[in-house]
Amino acid sequence: MTVATAPQGSARRALAPGLLRYVVVRVVSAVCVMFAVSIVVFLFIHAAPGGPEHAIGGELATEEQLESIRQRYGFDRPLPEQYLQFLGGILHGDFGESIIQKTPVATLIGETVKVTLPLLAFTWILAMGAGLALGILTASRPGSRLDRFSLGMTTLGASTPAFVVGTFLAWLFGVQLGWFPALGAGEGGLDTVRHLVLPAATAAIVLLAVTTRITRVRVGQILEEDQATFARARGLGRWWTLKHVVLRNAGVQLVTLSGSVVVSLFTGLILVERVFNLPGIGSLMVDAIHDRDMPVIQGVTFCVALLVVTVNLVVDLVCMAIDPRLRARLETNR
Amino acid sequence: MSAVTQVAPVGARLRLPKVPPLTALAGVFLVVVAACALFPGFAPQDPAAINAAESLQGPSGAHPLGTDQLGRDTLSRLVAGARTSLLGPLVLGLGVTAISTVLAVAAGWFGGRTDAVISRIIDFFYSVPALLVAIVVAGVTGGGFGITLVVLIIFGLPMHVRNLRAAVMERAHLPFMEAAVTLGLPTWRVVLTHLVPTIVPNVVAVFFVTFTYGVVELSSLSFLGLGVPPGAPDWGRMVADNRAAVFTDVWAVAAPAVAIVLLAVSANLIGEHVQRTHEQSRKER
Repeated sequence: MTVATAPQGSARRALAPGLLRYVVVRVVSAVCVMFAVSIVVFLFIHAAPGGPEHAIGGELATEEQLESIRQRYGFDRPLPEQYLQFLGGILHGDFGESIIQKTPVATLIGETVKVTLPLLAFTWILAMGAGLALGILTASRPGSRLDRFSLGMTTLGASTPAFVVGTFLAWLFGVQLGWFPALGAGEGGLDTVRHLVLPAATAAIVLLAVTTRITRVRVGQILEEDQATFARARGLGRWWTLKHVVLRNAGVQLVTLSGSVVVSLFTGLILVERVFNLPGIGSLMVDAIHDRDMPVIQGVTFCVALLVVTVNLVVDLVCMAIDPRLRARLETNR
Repeated sequence: MSAVTQVAPVGARLRLPKVPPLTALAGVFLVVVAACALFPGFAPQDPAAINAAESLQGPSGAHPLGTDQLGRDTLSRLVAGARTSLLGPLVLGLGVTAISTVLAVAAGWFGGRTDAVISRIIDFFYSVPALLVAIVVAGVTGGGFGITLVVLIIFGLPMHVRNLRAAVMERAHLPFMEAAVTLGLPTWRVVLTHLVPTIVPNVVAVFFVTFTYGVVELSSLSFLGLGVPPGAPDWGRMVADNRAAVFTDVWAVAAPAVAIVLLAVSANLIGEHVQRTHEQSRKER
């Protein structure tokens, strides 16, 4: 109703009560979820087979060793007290010490993030960029050869595990053609970029199936709506329609999609890092699982959960920021 | 009775359902894998027989798909691995399909508080990646095939419960449903004999989609060395074990990798075919 007369500038700056409440509720619930996660992660060590002493001392530890572990880590004290100590550590960025490597878990995570983060960013740009382009192209020409081809490829992509794609790319471009290095993280600078090409391509190809399909469906819906037909009837160009009708309307779904891409990328990267022998956070996790290095498992899990919760929170807030319809619904629904 | 059957036109007996050739091939492949899973005796050689002298050979008369790093026959290991590679996704598919159908019918048909509770829980699990949780749980508990499957089933539910619930709610107010309720049939009869049959195609689609994801996720876990115990012939594990050989001999890696992709694609194709024929028959009606 008020859309046509919506003031342009400062009058809308102040947060409307419904929106303010939404933001507060979202932030508070995100914090609550992280507290719940911290409890679950804390209980990991108690859920391990043989109890916490064996989780740290190994299965062959003697009774004296177990006793000293119990005292050193405070396993003989009540659970709530242990939890508060654990929580205090986390808040200071202290996840304890790796049992195998005898270094602080925070240091290990810091080192591996340096490998994983560029890969994550690189892959995200590839998967979103190519997925958007393909999705919009195929949606605007439904039934074309490109559309059918991309439908077939997305079926194949959804059925192919990341490690199969990675092994294939490593074999084709790394071994047979020799264009890119098939293993390792590189020596920094341009060499690192060269080493990241195949891993990033692997993770992106797997995700491309999802990003293309979702973009294709949503853009296709919008192009069938009256507003798109009306824009065409007014003789407005393809680009104008794309920018003002398609992207404006699909914005919320695309932001949500890009968020879920980050989340599922994390799983994909565990496999990709394994295939290409990259010393990233995924490899750290898998090695810790094989070594039963509980503090590392706890630290990595907490950090990944923090990332997932943060991404979901940011996505929800960005959706509110870009779509006035969602904000308007908040005000009327109270 | 017998008179009726004789009246039927002769051609009707021979009419086969129209299936695209690719989908038919997918069906044949699934049947072959199922046969290997049921009768591991098909394996031409002992899948566990180690022969270091014959390690990493290419295809030959004695070894049609070559040998792996320990000189074991790749074809025999493929046949032997069919069981775990098929069983896991099958259990996952059946589990997710059954539970999500029950939850969706409960939420969509009864509505109210039941719906609110189920939907809230589903929303909470929605943005959590299943494979990641399975990896963490395997790491904490020390793994095991059973617990991994349970985690994948629980975290595989949300999307399907949502879709099936929407389907149930769409059907719940159709005239024949309201007629069944008005006739005073007991709730279990309305739900089981009137409501559930209408969503069977959706349920079948859920099964094939989950089966496909099961193949991808379980083989990924095997590749990471979680889930299937070491030494067991499993396709994902075969790729992981012979990964280093990709530089010298590609067969030991390529064969299981292709088998995984074929299995997943086949299930996907058949699922899409079921859904497409269902949509067509709905349009024709």
